[in-house]
Amino acid sequence: MSLSQPPAFRGFGLGLRIPHYAGFLATQQPVDFVEVISENFMVDGGRPLHTLDRIRERYPVALHGVSMNLGSVDPVDVAYLHRLRALAARIDPLWVSDHVSWTGVDGFNSHDLLPLPYTEEALDVLATNIAMAQDVLGRALVLENPSTYVAFPDAPMTEAAFLSALCERTGCFLLLDINNIHVSATNHGLDPDEWLTGLPLDRVRQVHLAGHMQRDGLLIDTHDAPVPDPVWALYARFAQQLGDVATMIERDDRIPPLDELLAELERARGVAAASERRAA
Amino acid sequence: MSLREVQKRFLADVADTATESAFESPGMRAYARNYHGKLVEALRDTYARTLLWLGDDAFDAEARRYIDASPPVSWTLDAYGDGFVALLDARFPDDPDVGELAWLDLALRRAFSGRSADTLGPASLVADDWDRVEFVFVPTLQARRMRSNAVVIWKALDDETLPPASTVLPVEGAVRVWREGLSPRFSSMGADEYACLDLALAGGSFGEICELLLRWHGAGRVATEAGHLLRAWVSDGLVTALRQG
Repeated sequence: MSLSQPPAFRGFGLGLRIPHYAGFLATQQPVDFVEVISENFMVDGGRPLHTLDRIRERYPVALHGVSMNLGSVDPVDVAYLHRLRALAARIDPLWVSDHVSWTGVDGFNSHDLLPLPYTEEALDVLATNIAMAQDVLGRALVLENPSTYVAFPDAPMTEAAFLSALCERTGCFLLLDINNIHVSATNHGLDPDEWLTGLPLDRVRQVHLAGHMQRDGLLIDTHDAPVPDPVWALYARFAQQLGDVATMIERDDRIPPLDELLAELERARGVAAASERRAA
Repeated sequence: MSLREVQKRFLADVADTATESAFESPGMRAYARNYHGKLVEALRDTYARTLLWLGDDAFDAEARRYIDASPPVSWTLDAYGDGFVALLDARFPDDPDVGELAWLDLALRRAFSGRSADTLGPASLVADDWDRVEFVFVPTLQARRMRSNAVVIWKALDDETLPPASTVLPVEGAVRVWREGLSPRFSSMGADEYACLDLALAGGSFGEICELLLRWHGAGRVATEAGHLLRAWVSDGLVTALRQG
């Protein structure tokens, strides 16, 4: 069966969160798309789906999930995939994304995005689960690099090599979270520029920009603060290497007024444009 | 070590409250904090009025107890707190208001995103043989007996006004929760309506409901009471269809 492919879509968008529903519906906001958390709308009925339908009438929507559990040795939850497929059929999203991570094992779900050792065994597990998910969904997935707080020193592959192999084996695409690169690289003493070496940038369909916090000597991916300067700087260095991608500000906590996020998004537009001018 | 062993051990470590602050690795401490923090936050979100009623410290202590006893298994965090009402009922046997408030919180949350259904208007209340008519209700309808004034307390907390002290009702009542259009709703009921609704939800016919009302109200008032019930259920948007049993 041929899988539908995520389009090359150039644009700037926001993660849609409850405090801003009214603002997005009251007037056409200056965004090219919005991203919603899939699980919040994988419900039976009521206001969530009603709201999403109205949003979809006004904006392209990307579906971003947190519970596909693709890196687990458990098989993917087929009932979950069918619910997601029904939501995708209803919304006709730009694409469906999730994470290169696992959330649980033996039916026990942590509801957190947990790290994988970058080994051949983990690659096999992920590739098998991704193939199954793509088969049920009928579309190639877009997968996000995670923030990690522990490393597996014996794992033989770099994250970039792991992601590259994953794209090659499964035909999946990438959601490059620039904040996650900064967080993981800093936590593990790596150079973010080197982190990206070997990454198949032609597979990137979306970019996340977000903030983090520092605690216990680590950077923690909290999405509760404006995009910090090191993340902007990293984005500026990479924006010129990316083709047509959808860039998004991701904020999940301490959510500010919509105007503040739109101002951050305007900054992203400016950074991307300047980066492209430098490259030209 | 196989990936399965790595994942089982990792998750067991992260979920063990006793070791949350004992990890030498700040990374494992971060994952443990994330795990417990997300689950507590999910319970606080679902049980927002119960949280206000118990206060932060008491609520979080019960949440921790629940988390230790009930590892999450669903793909959605929204389903995580389903057993929390039973825990509170068991933990506060002499304070029925606590479990009853929590039940209202949960039932309203379930009604919010439950399955939609078209409801009958008064003009559709037509049947050849009313004795054999059975009711099909909206899928979001739930009901529970209430021993306390939890409904009044919940309303005050929701309105951000001073709630009354909890009391045990002199006569046991009940409450029903459902969604009308996009809005979750609740309504107090007498024990007689609860008994009738319970019977109807179990597939009892209108004739059987009238027999039940006969025991509560006597022959002289059965028709009036049955008419009241029927009007209330239809006008509140509870009934989706009549079925000839």
